Amino acid sequence: MPDYVHSELLVSTEWVAEHLSDPTVRIVESDEDRALYTQGHIPGAVEIDWAVDLQNQTERDYIDRAAFEKLCAERGISNDTTVVFYGDKNNWWACYAFWVFKLYGHTNCRVMNGGRKRWELDGRQWSTERVSYAHSHYTAQEQDGSIRALRDEVLKHQKAGKQLLDVRSPEEYRGERMHMPDYPNEGAVRGGHIPGAVNVPWPMNCNDDGTFKSAKELEKLYIKELKMKRRSPTIAYCRIGERSSLTWFVLTYLLGFGNVKNYDGSWLEWGNCVRVPIVKGAEPGGPAAAAAAGSSSPAVHA
Amino acid sequence: MESIQQRLDELIGEFADLDAREKLELLVDFAHGLPPLPAEYEARKALEDRRVHECQTSVFLWTEGTADAARLVAEVAAEAPTVKGFVAILADAINGRPVADVAAISDDMLERMGLADVLGILRTRGLRAIVARVKRGFANHASAAG
Repeated sequence: MPDYVHSELLVSTEWVAEHLSDPTVRIVESDEDRALYTQGHIPGAVEIDWAVDLQNQTERDYIDRAAFEKLCAERGISNDTTVVFYGDKNNWWACYAFWVFKLYGHTNCRVMNGGRKRWELDGRQWSTERVSYAHSHYTAQEQDGSIRALRDEVLKHQKAGKQLLDVRSPEEYRGERMHMPDYPNEGAVRGGHIPGAVNVPWPMNCNDDGTFKSAKELEKLYIKELKMKRRSPTIAYCRIGERSSLTWFVLTYLLGFGNVKNYDGSWLEWGNCVRVPIVKGAEPGGPAAAAAAGSSSPAVHA
Repeated sequence: MESIQQRLDELIGEFADLDAREKLELLVDFAHGLPPLPAEYEARKALEDRRVHECQTSVFLWTEGTADAARLVAEVAAEAPTVKGFVAILADAINGRPVADVAAISDDMLERMGLADVLGILRTRGLRAIVARVKRGFANHASAAG
């Protein structure tokens, strides 16, 4: 997989098949439907579930550092293990888990290009065997704030007219619906998007077989058409931060953007906040649009 | 014959003492047991609004049958074994039993199965929507028939 700026972070199903017994590698499956792992997983792969394993069940946050250390230790993941993520839905939960591993400073993370779909299409073997490894010792870092945006930072970023990506469906972006088509409404009370955010629905990053689009196609989309700059600070968001972690992965590692953050609070937070600016409709709106229109007063107020 | 709730209690009981992994394995077993969509329903999918829009996966449900013998027919996408297994449990309990029993299905079945903790809040919400849809479907079916 040449062409990508960090092509070494993507591995093929063939590479994974060749490393199933490699003690320095741990394969991790993360799915939307966790029973998929139960039904059949890559031989030797462990499961990390986004809802049950990665979320703090009391506060709305990720598990803390100690819980992350325990999670890794129980799966035999050490600080020097190469962790390869894959899953259903074009790897979006795999990217989410990858992002949480980066949040706690894990060095060697990879994504298996194409996820479950590509493994299936390649006619590779599934296993229903229970997997367990001897517990390891794991020491996590403090959370890496350089890849995570919290609400106040998003507000400042938005007011400054910096690069903001909304990766939800066009219907959600325009404010016509507050959840994905066919998905339950998770409780946002307002619809629309953060002013200035450009809509790039996450499936635009992927091919039908679940693999990422080529570097050329991704560059055409983000750099040529949207005129995004690799060096400008960028924040991506969606509904709860899962689809945008896939876009975060694409921008950071496949295209080499230098400063991308995932706003995991995303629309479920923004759409419920009091007195944050929201734009409805197909246009980004926001400070940049106001400046372009020659207006001295902001199009929106915070 | 036992009521729908009695049959459901038996099925729920199978989950009671299992650990998380075993619960998911049992759910997958039920998913494998859901019969494929009968051919005559295939064409109706396009014509009738049978899709459960509250659910996060492709689910089609028909709530039919006679007053004495309810019939729940379903198609659930293969990539959603959790939903598929759950619908299979409902179909097992409902099919061939009185439509009037459906309304009495207890709302806490997910908690009693211990699935709420295994699946998390958002997935549990999707499954609850399916129970609500099945109850509503049979209530409408009964009032249309009666």
